[in-house]
Amino acid sequence: MNEIIMTLFNGLSASSIILLTSLGLAITFGLMRVINMAHGEFIMVGAYTTYMIHNIFAAYLPSEIFDLYYILAIPAAFAITFLLGILLEKFVISKLYGREIDSLLATWGISLIFQQAARSIFGSQGVLVQSPSFLSGGLSLGSVVISYNRLFILALVGVCLFLVWFIMYRSNFGAQMRATMQNRAMAQCLGINSRKVDSITFGIGSGLAGIAGCSVALLGSVDSTLGQNYIVNSFMSVVLGGVGKLLGTFISSNIIGFSSIFVENYTSSSIAKAIVLVIVIIFLQKRPQGLFVIRSRALDE
Amino acid sequence: MNENVLEIKNVSVVFDGFRALTEVSVNVKRNTIHFFIGPNGAGKTTLLDIICGKTKKTYGKVAFFSKDDQEYVLTDMKEYKIVGVGVGRKFQVPSVFKNLSVFDNMELSLKGNKGVWASITHRPTREELDSINETLELVGLADRKDVLAGALAHGEKQWLEIAMQLVQKPDLIMLDEPAAGMGKPETFKTGDILKSIKDRCTIIVVEHDMDFVKQVADTVTVLHEGRVLMEGSIDDVLADETVKSVYLGRGGERDA
Amino acid sequence: MKKAVKDPKNITFALIAVILVCMPLLYTAGLLKSTMVIFLGKCIAFAIVAIGLDIIWGYTGILSLGHGLYFALGAYGMGMYLKMQATGGRITDFMQVGGLTKLPAIWKPFLSLPASILMIILVPALLAGVIGYFSFKNRIKGVYFSIITQALTWAAYSLFIALSPYTNGNVGITEIQSLVGSVKGKANGGNLMVLFYAALVLLVLIYALSCFLLSTKLGKILIAIQDGENRTYFSGYCVSRYKNFVYILSAVFAAIAGAVFVNFNGSITPTQMTISYSVTMVIWVAVGGRGTLVGAVIGAFLINLCEYNLSSGSLVEIWQYVIGILFTLTVLFFKSGIVGVISEKAAALRRKKKMKEAEA
Repeated sequence: MNEIIMTLFNGLSASSIILLTSLGLAITFGLMRVINMAHGEFIMVGAYTTYMIHNIFAAYLPSEIFDLYYILAIPAAFAITFLLGILLEKFVISKLYGREIDSLLATWGISLIFQQAARSIFGSQGVLVQSPSFLSGGLSLGSVVISYNRLFILALVGVCLFLVWFIMYRSNFGAQMRATMQNRAMAQCLGINSRKVDSITFGIGSGLAGIAGCSVALLGSVDSTLGQNYIVNSFMSVVLGGVGKLLGTFISSNIIGFSSIFVENYTSSSIAKAIVLVIVIIFLQKRPQGLFVIRSRALDE
Repeated sequence: MNENVLEIKNVSVVFDGFRALTEVSVNVKRNTIHFFIGPNGAGKTTLLDIICGKTKKTYGKVAFFSKDDQEYVLTDMKEYKIVGVGVGRKFQVPSVFKNLSVFDNMELSLKGNKGVWASITHRPTREELDSINETLELVGLADRKDVLAGALAHGEKQWLEIAMQLVQKPDLIMLDEPAAGMGKPETFKTGDILKSIKDRCTIIVVEHDMDFVKQVADTVTVLHEGRVLMEGSIDDVLADETVKSVYLGRGGERDA
Repeated sequence: MKKAVKDPKNITFALIAVILVCMPLLYTAGLLKSTMVIFLGKCIAFAIVAIGLDIIWGYTGILSLGHGLYFALGAYGMGMYLKMQATGGRITDFMQVGGLTKLPAIWKPFLSLPASILMIILVPALLAGVIGYFSFKNRIKGVYFSIITQALTWAAYSLFIALSPYTNGNVGITEIQSLVGSVKGKANGGNLMVLFYAALVLLVLIYALSCFLLSTKLGKILIAIQDGENRTYFSGYCVSRYKNFVYILSAVFAAIAGAVFVNFNGSITPTQMTISYSVTMVIWVAVGGRGTLVGAVIGAFLINLCEYNLSSGSLVEIWQYVIGILFTLTVLFFKSGIVGVISEKAAALRRKKKMKEAEA
């Protein structure tokens, strides 16, 4: 029984982390069709932002309010990566719309710069972020202990998912965004400033990576290669879910997360990851458009 | 030999609930010029897509009879195999290989073994070279042989694409709006070329330009909202009241 | 044939080859360090994989983010053969540490050189063939193919690390001598020369083979596929077969390159199998000039030579910035790379000259 609860929770937790790191991609790749290879580095920037604010609180502010650092870190990480995203969109990506492969390569170059910047500033040794006291420890269910960190991430994913859904489907900006992504020319005719929509949409996608960085900072050491560890799963989850579908990304994150944990019961975690990826790739052979397909009358690329 | 080169039987196509074609049945006679006309959204292009394998049918069957009276069910074949048995297609938007020269475009279109190994070992024969030159001469691109196709003017691209179909020596050529972007004299010249190759192959054309239809059509099928409205000679079609009201009465789509 | 000899790009390649021929001579004359010659040997390997990448990416438009995998497969194959030559066919120390008592079956073929060479070519060809067959048949293209190759590379990398009794995990296969014996130090200068020239011959052969293939109708079809994949299908070509053919070809080139590399490097680690390393290879091609074979060769040499000279000591940080910025700018503004920019300039000059002559 305990084992089942543990597996379930681990699966949920793994899924939530994949979902959080791929939510931003679901917007930048899914909606805008931009392959941002620097997405992982935005996660890293979010993690380092958390680390910096953590250090500032530890060094300059009274220890009673130390725990508040994390509350501040989330919006700060979002703001910084949001701005970085807007800059990246303006100077690199906007020049490469319609050239998907080139945008992939150019953002890879950017990611190299980010990684080196992280090494130059923080060194190549990983740094640790101390969890705020309200997140340390865990919930005991019988003999099973569920860490608050992971429960918190679960809640955070829920909030992010809701906000993204709200922005996309219930706000005025979301309507403009979806209109622009579906039919740019038509949206422009209706008076939508499509450049601005692109810029903010990309910013939001990047900002979500920052929030993801904030949460993965709690899980282990932060170093310049942090982003690379998440990027593959994130991309696979977006592709598996079906590009352009939020629900698809949600479901596929769960599939990848749960099956990794499940396979892990039989073998080591790195072999499990490899097996799951291969299974996903085989599945994509059968359904190259992913789980959820948006069909259209436009038959050619 | 079967007098029909193409038999379209009860073909329906549904995209996500939208019926693009509904139970379309048409026979195309060998060595004729057969037109499909109709307002936008009538399903003309979709029908061509079905024949050449670009779109999958939902119901129905398209059978093609080659010169040696072999029957091929096109609706069950991959597009590159359909080309291989002698069905060529020119698309609405000129699609030539823009980073290859005019000559290379023609060379790739030649009939013959299209396997990987053959592509490495095969050199164009004397006859093939002659046929490329003759065809380019016919469409007036002979002196543009070494120009990159991407550098051609819009009308020239149309000609090149038609030439690419001709050099393939197919049994059946499908042309989607061949006259789009051409002036009157060029359209007339296209018509003449089509008439001159009619004894070698069958030609299916989708076109809005009614003068062009009058110039060359043997048979005209009118499509409307995915169904066959009527079929007959151009005079029958022009005289028909229903056709007038849904299509011609509105002055044609893009009146030339 | 005459046209090929006169092509300025092929002349440039010939020039590079001649310069390379001189390098070991400079070394015997004492003007060059042996480490430099060894390094140039590795560059030859890089140039070989770059040629393969250029054929699929520059010509055909398929971006693989996983050629590091094929490179590493070739390198591990050759590395294992060399290692077991040193141990006399007995199992290696890392296998013993990993708990194996006898040589695992997968490494058995690597006891003999001909079998090793066969495996170095066959294994990557088969793997690429299977991946390519399904992906291309199912019309997975563009960035989707790139993402899938990226994921596969990552999966393979995880496996190689996890299966450490067979592969020595993170450490890889180290302390191996080349096919002709040690190449380190003055005493082994002769060995180094033999190895270097052998690698150079291989590069020239692969360049010539690629040039020949691209000069046939195949080369035109590859460009056609990049221009309009569907149009190529509608010209009667089974595009997926062509794609698979060049994908396998480039995988085999990568594997050969890996096998050459390990001879000079003396070790092979899973680093060469990572996604970053795979993209690094793409960077060589992009900067040198995609779509021209000599561009790929120039890119491989130039970037690695720069890295070699810059990444020592305090400059190592700057180098990472330089390569990141260089790559981004190339993709943004100089899509055709160094060779592309030069040949455009040359063409413009020729036009100017002609105009002047016409005026005069």
